Amino acid sequence: MKGLLKTGGQFLLKTKLFWGLAVLYGAGVILSPINRKGANIFLESGNQADVLRQVSNNGIIAVGMTLVILTGGIDLSVGSMMSLGCMLCAMLLTLQGWTTASSASIPILAFVAVFLCGYLVPLVATNLRRGSAKAVQRAGWATRLLGVVLGLFVAGLLVWWTTSQLQTKFGVLGVLVTVPAVGFAIGGLTGLIIAKGKLQPFIVTLAMMVAVVGLARLLGGETAAVYPVYTGSNATEKFEILRTLVLQVVPVPGIFFLVAVLAFGFILKYSAFGRYIYAIGGNEQAARLAGIHVDQIKTAVYALSGMLASLAGVLYTSQYRQGKPDAGAGGELDAIAAVVIGGTNLMGGKGSMTGTFVGVLIFGFLTNILLLKNINSNIQFVLKGAIILGAVLLQEGQIGLWWKRLRARTRKLGTGELRKDEVQQPADLR
Amino acid sequence: MSSPDSISQPTERLALEMRQISKSFGPTEVLRRVDFELRPGEIHALMGENGAGKTTLMKIAAGLVEEFEGKILVDGQLVNLTSPRDATRAGIAMIQQELSLVPELQVDENIFLGQERLQSLFFVDRKSQIDTARDVLKTLDFPGRLQAPVSQLRVGEQQLVEIAKALVAKARIMIMDEATSALSINETERLFQVIRRLAAEGVAIVYISHRMEEVLAVAHTVTVLRDGRHVGTVPGKDATRRELIRMMVGREIHEMLAEDKGTTKAAKPMLEVRNLSLEHPSPTPNRPMLVQDVSFSVGVGEVFGLGGLLGAGRTEVLQVLYGLHPGTSGGDIWIEGKPVQILGPVQAKALGIALITEDRKRDGLILGAGIDRNIGLPVMRTLTHLGIVLPGKERALAKSMMRQLNIHARDPEQPTGSLSGGNQQKVVVGKCLVTKPRVFLLDEPTRGIDVGAKAEIYRLIRDLADQGLAIVVASSELPELMLLSDRILVLREGRPTALLDRSDFSQETILEYASPGGAVQPEFSKLGATA
Repeated sequence: MKGLLKTGGQFLLKTKLFWGLAVLYGAGVILSPINRKGANIFLESGNQADVLRQVSNNGIIAVGMTLVILTGGIDLSVGSMMSLGCMLCAMLLTLQGWTTASSASIPILAFVAVFLCGYLVPLVATNLRRGSAKAVQRAGWATRLLGVVLGLFVAGLLVWWTTSQLQTKFGVLGVLVTVPAVGFAIGGLTGLIIAKGKLQPFIVTLAMMVAVVGLARLLGGETAAVYPVYTGSNATEKFEILRTLVLQVVPVPGIFFLVAVLAFGFILKYSAFGRYIYAIGGNEQAARLAGIHVDQIKTAVYALSGMLASLAGVLYTSQYRQGKPDAGAGGELDAIAAVVIGGTNLMGGKGSMTGTFVGVLIFGFLTNILLLKNINSNIQFVLKGAIILGAVLLQEGQIGLWWKRLRARTRKLGTGELRKDEVQQPADLR
Repeated sequence: MSSPDSISQPTERLALEMRQISKSFGPTEVLRRVDFELRPGEIHALMGENGAGKTTLMKIAAGLVEEFEGKILVDGQLVNLTSPRDATRAGIAMIQQELSLVPELQVDENIFLGQERLQSLFFVDRKSQIDTARDVLKTLDFPGRLQAPVSQLRVGEQQLVEIAKALVAKARIMIMDEATSALSINETERLFQVIRRLAAEGVAIVYISHRMEEVLAVAHTVTVLRDGRHVGTVPGKDATRRELIRMMVGREIHEMLAEDKGTTKAAKPMLEVRNLSLEHPSPTPNRPMLVQDVSFSVGVGEVFGLGGLLGAGRTEVLQVLYGLHPGTSGGDIWIEGKPVQILGPVQAKALGIALITEDRKRDGLILGAGIDRNIGLPVMRTLTHLGIVLPGKERALAKSMMRQLNIHARDPEQPTGSLSGGNQQKVVVGKCLVTKPRVFLLDEPTRGIDVGAKAEIYRLIRDLADQGLAIVVASSELPELMLLSDRILVLREGRPTALLDRSDFSQETILEYASPGGAVQPEFSKLGATA
């Protein structure tokens, strides 16, 4: 019985995050206003779809942030990266020919293609046979050459394809490939500086945050201009597809979010890359001494984070029909909050994509409930802050520790006499 | 068990009394119902193998351990020691093995750190501090300069600064943890004089050490711990070396000594090193380089020992060989006759070099991850298919290592942080063995593990050598070094001073060559003269 209670308790403790989400959801149902037809507004499919739509941008950024935080780092530049992605997307969609946006992003796209093929082809080639011992060896020069050649070929195709779109402005697929590639490159640069310069991620990404928002503004021209995107008139009509509801329920950005969670959740849990991420966050020095390419892994997570953030920028453009240089302002903090609510340790090495997913939903539903209750937006901020703090204290098990410590502090000091049960037993000396 | 004479005479107050102290780190019990009594003016040696619980017991007295069971009385009064501040208030000071001075601050600033003399509520009264510091240090025969950052002092001098710090804080109980592990013979002698004088003035001193000669020379009373238990307390004048060893090591002693092996076999060299050097990050006149002019050759199946005092450069030699200091290190390395360049752990691993560092928690293990994850990490790519981990393979590898190395755990997924020190160390060994090394570098391979695990590790090192690996062992424990090694290279302040064959091994010889100012073998002396 006691054992059952214990395992039950441990189960509850392990799944506390889901219970938190369930409680919040229940509260949403109870607190929700009822509309004239007597339906619960919170539960309406339109409202649920809205929540998913609203969380997707933050969610996609949080997926990348999870990778970064698991290595023990942090990425403050994601908000700016989202702004840059948003501006880039709007300009590629609405402007013809070689503008600053296209002439900057097409070469970057080509570079990323060459680099990725050149890096991944040898990696895969040495790991084709199941768990072969050959995998430990470095790839031969032939495989590497093959990677580079393949990369050049792919890059050529991409350049040909994107430049052919220049006269007619970029299409949906065009921006969905080009903008994340730019984010990948800038994020990779950030990661490279952190890894090779042995610098604090906080400082480097802070600098990037400032610099990249500047880039976004520069792209837009002298004033902090807003680029309106009118699908059908100044941009391709097909861009509307990113706003639609699939099966009338699931918004397209939500699908991007779900796919990102599933894909990166899988990578984290089952791939060698994921193992390395956890290992670096758990003990970077141990990982380094185990002969892991720590610098490469670190660079990769920042690159992926940048890629996902700029993808969120594309989705922002489609939702709000505009390119805005401050689209992602403050986005980094929401993403960090969601990751941390999800139980991922800021010191790295502990956490999961599932946690982040739930964390993002908790954040989204909370905002939604407060909105439906029509609560003063400033009070909303205070409440959100309080809930982040509470969630983290619970996650880290600190509250129990405080209690223990308090008891140790106030432990009653006796007379110095030993109680009977404290009297020493003869030690067995063998 | 408390010995008969430790039943306190009613007239005499105990300076410190610890009753029934128990402490566990997770599932590992490090102290079990230990009693400890200390009289004013007594030099009380606390002995035991690594991992016996000496340091933990004294950390509890110094308020450095938050949670434990048992009672502590200072001067007959129950006290609650849950922070270092509590301990300072109770007159207890601990001088730890790794000195806790701030390297950039000057001597007096260190002595008064946290107890600054103030004038007009805000400003530090440097003059008064320096005067007091000079007076106190004079009584300790402090030879160094006062107006200098402590980083420029020798280790022995830094130790005196720590003692002065304790004296200024009016400590009546002084705990010294392995105080001599970095000291030369002369410095050790001087420290003993200071300790005896302090004791004569009524300060109670706890002296943690595992060096038998020192304890027999200086202690009034000796308490021995083994595996977290109190084994016995004997008066220092009655203690004999043999009895203390029996108390410390217990029944395992025969097993361990039976490991002794025959003479060195001549073998073809596996690892050759010429003129290895490593720059000092902040060079001083008496230590321009961390490592200099180190050359040696290790044969197939040989265990090669690196000896020397704390800070002599043993660890650094191993680090350079594993490629941890590219850019600041120099010298030539050959493996199986081929010249190699080692620029980092990745290359070292590919060349068949494995390293066990001195601190398994800091840079050996991922404590939050399971045994399987830790052991699989260095060879992760052999456990994957197209980048996806084959979990069965990882588990099987971990299981086979657990069997081979006799690692005790519930299952391969058990987090390494919850294992005992001995089992943790075996996981670290396993992590190295899966890479199938040719050259195995071990730094303090048995630090902080129990006697049984120690014997297993010793046996394993021998077995690996018999399988044809070249093994380099660095250890501060001379008996261990002498037991394991075929030859020992003694280092002093980064330079080699002697290369000893098995027939020349003795603690006295090694210490003589290791101590600053001591002897140097002729073939190494000319190297020193050119610098």
